[in-house]
This record gives sequence, structure tokens and C-alpha cells, in this order.
Amino acid sequence: MPLQILITLVVAGIAGIAALTWALGMATPRRFVSDSEAIAAFAREFPETPVRAVTRCRDGQAALLRTDSGVALVWPMGADSTARLLSRIRVDRTRHGLTLHLPDYTAPRVSLRLPKDEADRWQTLLRQAT
Amino acid sequence: MTDQLTYPDVVQLAVPLFIAAILVELTWIVIRRRGGRYETRDALTSLILGAGNVAEGILLGFVAWGFFMLLWDLTPLDLGAGWWVVALCFVLDDLRYYWVHRFGHRVRWVWASHVNHHSSQHYNLTTALRQTWTGTFTFMMIVRAPLILLGFHPAMVLFCGGLNLIYQFWIHTEAIGRMPRWVEAVMNTPSHHRVHHGRNPRYLDANYAGVFIIWDKLFGTFVPEQDEEKVDYGLVHNLGTFNPIRVAFHEWVGIWRDVTQPGITWRDRLMYCVAPPGWSHDGSRDTSQTIKAKHLTRHPEDAGKPGFS
Repeated sequence: MPLQILITLVVAGIAGIAALTWALGMATPRRFVSDSEAIAAFAREFPETPVRAVTRCRDGQAALLRTDSGVALVWPMGADSTARLLSRIRVDRTRHGLTLHLPDYTAPRVSLRLPKDEADRWQTLLRQAT
Repeated sequence: MTDQLTYPDVVQLAVPLFIAAILVELTWIVIRRRGGRYETRDALTSLILGAGNVAEGILLGFVAWGFFMLLWDLTPLDLGAGWWVVALCFVLDDLRYYWVHRFGHRVRWVWASHVNHHSSQHYNLTTALRQTWTGTFTFMMIVRAPLILLGFHPAMVLFCGGLNLIYQFWIHTEAIGRMPRWVEAVMNTPSHHRVHHGRNPRYLDANYAGVFIIWDKLFGTFVPEQDEEKVDYGLVHNLGTFNPIRVAFHEWVGIWRDVTQPGITWRDRLMYCVAPPGWSHDGSRDTSQTIKAKHLTRHPEDAGKPGFS
């Protein structure tokens, strides 16, 4: 197949499929609607680590967990989720909330949109993970 | 002599088919509200990784091709280009695929290349295209050497490899439940391959087949999909990024960091490259075997069942 046609096909195909899924509402990120949902998402990644307490964002976009191994974060990966035990993180205050910088090539940054009072509270909770 | 033998690049020719099939699967899921899930950024990452894989083939394909032609010059054998030779080559190349794929899950150096194919938490036809950008650097082209030394022309071997890859495209779907019994017995199917993409302890390191599931049954790695345990797709520790660069290279970065850390022996450094994924010099991480063992500690009732025997 001539390279020009291949490139056109690939670029148009990728753009078209991405646009179609977006238009069909498939870009909506997951929300954690309950503490137990956040705990279950954490247990998917760390089944051996007991959770002691959960602090969910009011809009459910992420949750901080106090575990036997320290502070952990659960956040959406598209329609799904991932989690990390937090240590040596940097927390930046932004116009919309907080940005967490993790020393992890597979999860370098998590941006959270939080109102001021909630950002204050999360910043305090995150202090022991910095 | 078959020195001038050429075959079409079937993977490139199949690109329109891939796009059409993805649109059909997506339409099916939207209309029927079952049979899988799509997510924009996940699909976009998969498709970009697929495009990158094609680009890598164009840019670095000469490395494997040069190696194969060197072997072809060395071998005194030439099986010709008859249809039965192509058929035999296809079957033997599928056996080659089984072992490369098994190495891809059991040797971290090869896993570093293959891991991105498993990094999606979704399982749809775009996942099939989530292919490696770094396959050349695994040196797994060596596993094809016996085929060429036996007299299968390199162009035929690559043609069969392309057909193998195309076959595997359609099995990356939840829209198909189970195929007729004889198909499930002999061929790799969506059901068998869903198991392979599972991160459930039961499903780890199972069903490495490309086209024929018989290799897994022969070599003891077959695990049937269990109706009572839905497959949970993705990695044991799922990625926190959709960035294709990070997805493509993250395990190589991990190897680099592990190998260059201070205070470990040279044996440890080597083991970080070639031991199974999850190996660590201090035992602080989990391999698939320790994950299964820990699962059985929590769920002793699963002992002896598929995936734990």
C-alpha cells in the first residue's frame, strides 16, 4: 500500500474513532459515588492492604485513603480507576485545586479540581505523603 | 530457488478492515448496550500505539529482515513456495508465536516490550492494535531462526506472522461469547484470549496462543474462561497515564531504574532484566506466582481449580 494512503487511512481512522466515541459520551470520567466503591478500586490494586479511612472528593473524582501502608490515592483512569500508595509526592496549589506530582513514571501527575476549602483539607491530609 | 519470493504486507492491507471492524463493534455495543465498553482516551491511546507499531516496522523492519536474509544465505535448505509449505510454515510460526509470547510474559526484558498490549483496562478491538514500539529490541527474532534454517523463506515467515497477527485482531472482543465447541477446542477464540488479558490471579500467565489454542493445552498453560469469575482487564498495577510515550516505554524505564540502583550485585542487575516481571532482589514485589499464592491464602477454596492447579 502506498505510504501516503496508509498514513491518510491511519490518521483519519484514529481521529474518526476518537471523535465518534467522544460524541457518544464515552469520554466521561468515572466518579466514586461511595466510600466502598473507592475502597474496592483500591483493593483491585492492593488486595493485601487494609484501608482505615476514606476521604472522597465531594464530586467523587478521587479519594484519599488512610491505609496500613500509608496514604493512598484512588483516581479515575477514564471509565476505570487506578491507585497508588503515596510517598515523596509534591503538591502544587493551582487555580482550580491541586496538582499532585508523583515520583512514578507510570503516574506522573494527578490534577484535582477542588474548591478552596476542600483543597485546604486535602493539602493537610497529603502532608504526610510529601 | 525462491530467492526472489515476495508476499504482500498483509497487516498494512488489513488496516481498512481493522477500522471497519472497530466501527461495527462500536455500533453493536451502542445499539445492544452490551458486548463491551469503549472509552475515548483509552481507544485513542490504543490506536496511536498501533500506528506507532506500524511505523516501527517501517523504520526498524530492516534489522529483522537483514538477520533473516543472513540466515537464508547460510542454510542449504529451501522448501520452495508450495501451498503446503505456506500452510506448514503458518502452523510452525504459530508455535514460534506461542513461545515468544510466553517469553513475553515470563522474561522481563521481553515483557517490557509486550506490557503495553496489556495496559488497557478495556477489551475491545482497539486493544488488539495496542502493540509494541520496541519489539526489535527484545531480539525475539532469534526464535524465528529455526524456521528459516529449515528452509522456509524469510518473506514467507513474515507473511505467516502477518496473517497470525490479523487472526488475533478479531478475538479482542467481548461482543462474542463462545464459539462452537470444536472451534473452542482447537482455535484461539475471544473467550480464551479474554482470559489471557485478565489481571485476576486465576488468569495470570495463561493462554499464550496466537491462532491455535492447542499449544496451551500441550504445554500446560491453558485456563478456560470461568462463568463465575468475570475477567478484570489490565495490569496487576494499572497505569495512571494515557500518554502513549509513557505507555510504550514505562517498563524499560523501570528496568533502567532497577538495574542502575546502588547497592545490589551484578547478578541482581541481570535478574532485573531476565527474571519474571515482579521479581525483586529483596522480595518486596510480587511475581504472578506469589500473587497466585497470596490469593490462595485468602481464598483456599480455589486451590486445585482452573488457574490454580
